[in-house]
Amino acid sequence: MTSGAVRRALASLAALALLAMADAARAEWGLTQLMNELARVQHATARFVERKYLKMLTTPLVVRGKLEYVAPGRVEKRTLEPRPEALIVDGDMVVLESVTGRRTLALQDNPVVWAFVESIRSTLNGDLSTLERFYAVDFDGTPDAWRLRLAPKEEPMKRIVSLILISGERDRIKTIEIKEAQGDRSVMTVLEERR
Amino acid sequence: MSAHRSLAVWVWLLLLAISLIFALRARFTADLSAFLPRAPRAAQQILVDELREGVVSRLVLIGIEGAPPAKLAHVSQALADRLARTTGFGFVNNGAESRTAADARVLVDQRYLLSPGVTPERFTASGLRAALEEDLALLASPMSPMVGPLLARDPTGETLRILDRLHLESGPPKRDGVWFSPDGQRALLIAQTRAPGFDLDAQERAVAAVHAAFAAALSVDKTEGSARLLVTGPGVFALATRAEIKQDVTRISVLAVVMVCALLLVVFRSWRVLLLTLLPVASGVAAGIAAVSGAFGAVHGVTLGFGATLLGEGVDYAIYLFANLGGTNPQARLGRLWRTLRLGVLTSMCGFSVLLLSDFSGLAQLGMLSVTGLLVAFLVTRFVLPSLTPESVRVRPAAALGPPLLEAVQWLPRLRYPLLLGFTLSLVGLAWQSSRVWDDRLESLSPISDADRRLDEQLRRELGAPDVGQLVVIRGESRTQGLELAEQAGGILERLQRDGELSGFESPAQFLPSERTQRARQAALPEADTLGRALTDAARGLPFRLESFGPFLDQVAAAKAGPLLDRGQLDGTGLALKLDALLVQRHGAWFALLPLRGVKDVRRVQAALAELGQADVHTLDLKQEADALYRGYRRQALHFAMAGAGAIALLLLASLRSVRRCADVLLPLAAAVVVTCAAFIAAGARLGMFHLVGLLLVVGVGSNYTLFFERHTFAASDQQRTVLSLTLCNACTAIGFGLLGLAHAPVLHAIGITVAAGAFLSLVFGAVLRNAM
Repeated sequence: MTSGAVRRALASLAALALLAMADAARAEWGLTQLMNELARVQHATARFVERKYLKMLTTPLVVRGKLEYVAPGRVEKRTLEPRPEALIVDGDMVVLESVTGRRTLALQDNPVVWAFVESIRSTLNGDLSTLERFYAVDFDGTPDAWRLRLAPKEEPMKRIVSLILISGERDRIKTIEIKEAQGDRSVMTVLEERR
Repeated sequence: MSAHRSLAVWVWLLLLAISLIFALRARFTADLSAFLPRAPRAAQQILVDELREGVVSRLVLIGIEGAPPAKLAHVSQALADRLARTTGFGFVNNGAESRTAADARVLVDQRYLLSPGVTPERFTASGLRAALEEDLALLASPMSPMVGPLLARDPTGETLRILDRLHLESGPPKRDGVWFSPDGQRALLIAQTRAPGFDLDAQERAVAAVHAAFAAALSVDKTEGSARLLVTGPGVFALATRAEIKQDVTRISVLAVVMVCALLLVVFRSWRVLLLTLLPVASGVAAGIAAVSGAFGAVHGVTLGFGATLLGEGVDYAIYLFANLGGTNPQARLGRLWRTLRLGVLTSMCGFSVLLLSDFSGLAQLGMLSVTGLLVAFLVTRFVLPSLTPESVRVRPAAALGPPLLEAVQWLPRLRYPLLLGFTLSLVGLAWQSSRVWDDRLESLSPISDADRRLDEQLRRELGAPDVGQLVVIRGESRTQGLELAEQAGGILERLQRDGELSGFESPAQFLPSERTQRARQAALPEADTLGRALTDAARGLPFRLESFGPFLDQVAAAKAGPLLDRGQLDGTGLALKLDALLVQRHGAWFALLPLRGVKDVRRVQAALAELGQADVHTLDLKQEADALYRGYRRQALHFAMAGAGAIALLLLASLRSVRRCADVLLPLAAAVVVTCAAFIAAGARLGMFHLVGLLLVVGVGSNYTLFFERHTFAASDQQRTVLSLTLCNACTAIGFGLLGLAHAPVLHAIGITVAAGAFLSLVFGAVLRNAM
């Protein structure tokens, strides 16, 4: 065996070792790392387009508006079309504003609303333990294209929603898809503006 | 033994046997509503009845605390499941969805009969168009997953309209699916017993079932058993009170017997005399209980407690008899004694018989017991006891006590001017403090401790249980009429609500509309073809899939042709609980109760409801009514007390035939009454109606002592005997009433301390103000 051959062999071994290390590093990026990254975001605003595919309707319903998140507990969803209304979550309270009036709900009194709110808020907040209180959380993908599958755990929510799919890139959410138990479905696309 | 004497003994034995049979078979109660007044107005009577047997009286409020929330929620579920299977409860709720499912089913299934939105216009093409446009907006809203599934069967939103009106969402907050206090420290449940609140045995079984179910719920859960159970509610209070009265009555009776016997034994130093002394009073107590049982059907525990005072007072007659036996010329002495005692018995009976007129059946029982007991004790002393006393009995009252007592009595008149000064000062003081003499709170009748009351108020507030301030009461001849009148009043109240005069109200018609209204709603629903065409027209240009509204068309058709909603269909739901609380049958009529929230000015509500032109519509402010009721009763008690005192004065005047002699007897009593009152006020207490009753009894009982100081009776020859027997009698009476003052029930406590103090002062003041000697 020539010294050149030995060197090549050693070099390829070193390359293999390096590749193995890189693989290990990639494998270590997981749900925990995603949550940590998300948790670092303090403030974000975005536009959204939501398409609702409902059995009752012949065409999908398109809803447009704005989203705002302020860490740790405030989420605002302001609908501009088809009719202005707002859903504002702050701490334990939810405020619903529409042309017909304003209603305030306590999250604790409305387990279904609470579960919905936490699917988005706990994800934005990187709060895995709260998320897991309401959902069985499944994760796959890479840092640049990850996906969370949230399956409701509790009975009242289970009867309404069968699955929530959240996809994203790094610390940004790109889509939220809600599959309802009765077969209806909605897909929200989030276009982030600034943070 | 002469013939008529032995006849008296036989009659006595016969009557005693009958009395004992009645007394031993008597039914005993501890229902405190006997000390709630019978109300003069029908509307007020409803309130009192509700307290006694209404839905409110059947509520059991339950709290579980002392463990982490998840554990508390778990125990709450297990407890609710167990209680729901217990026959004693008609309804159990801990806020869990499974327990409100029956309510939701009724509201959804019966929406076309229940909703005020069901009008002919709502189901025309234009009405439906407006509804569909609203639905589209709802589907676009964030709430769509929750409300969406409802729309296919209820596009006009009747279910939401019903829920909005019923305020059903305003229950306690939930954690882990069940009700919790706002601070999250305590899981909350509410249960309703099948038995009315006054059925204490049933209430006792129900409360025991709660404790047993709680213990079982804890034992199933293997984790640490640190959770604590809190149970409150009217039935629980009544049970605690019954137990307390029982304990008080037993303790007071035993103490009174022991103390009176000990005193008599010390003074008379003879077991035989002691037993003979107790005979008349024992006969009196037996006859009194028998009379109460016969007249009222049942004997109240409080009445038995009052028996202790009868012991203290009834024993007096025998004491006078034995104190005056022996010595020289007993016959002349006894003749004079009987005359004085007869007058004393009459004045006492005069005082107690006023109680018979009372609107409180409890007070009337006390009157009956005392009047019968005193009369029998006197008659037995007068006609039976002398024949039973063998000639050989030598009564030698403790001789050593005589001289010092007489000395004291002879010294006391020196206090005449200080006493008159004190009397005047007390009068001035009472007049000066007149604004804070009376206690006019209805709670002053309640024996419930402050701690228990606070717990009850807290659980009630946390559960949002009915605790209404103002309500409209409407009387109808039938269930139907009650509901129809409630609907008419509801129309007026809705107008006031829109004008901002009140923030809301509840009505039985919201849970069960009258048949007339239900039929009108059925008539407002179109036929199937008409509705189908209207829906097609309405949906033109909107993205709805028409076939998805199949359930809507089917259910409208079913509601139009179906049976009307009746009370039976609500069985086992929280709606039935509400309905039964708001529509009650009493005294052959039906009363609809409409609690009001956030009333700005109750007079404007009254004026608006006057438009109904119904005489049987009343707007009540509960707290105000209750206090007014109580003030009325206090005033009545004052009138009774004055009438009783007047009757006693007239009786004395007729017997003594001299204003002067009459004044000798009454002046010490007046002083005793005034000084007793002044002492209470000075000590910071206020006088309630039971104190007033006590003051009347001071006059009735105290006259027995002052009569003996009256100059024609207080003859020089047997002053020692008189003073000794008076002191002994007074001590026995003070023991009887004084022990009563230890009781927790306000009626016993107030009468006890008032009479004990007043009777003792009567004796002392009688000696001080003695004219003769």
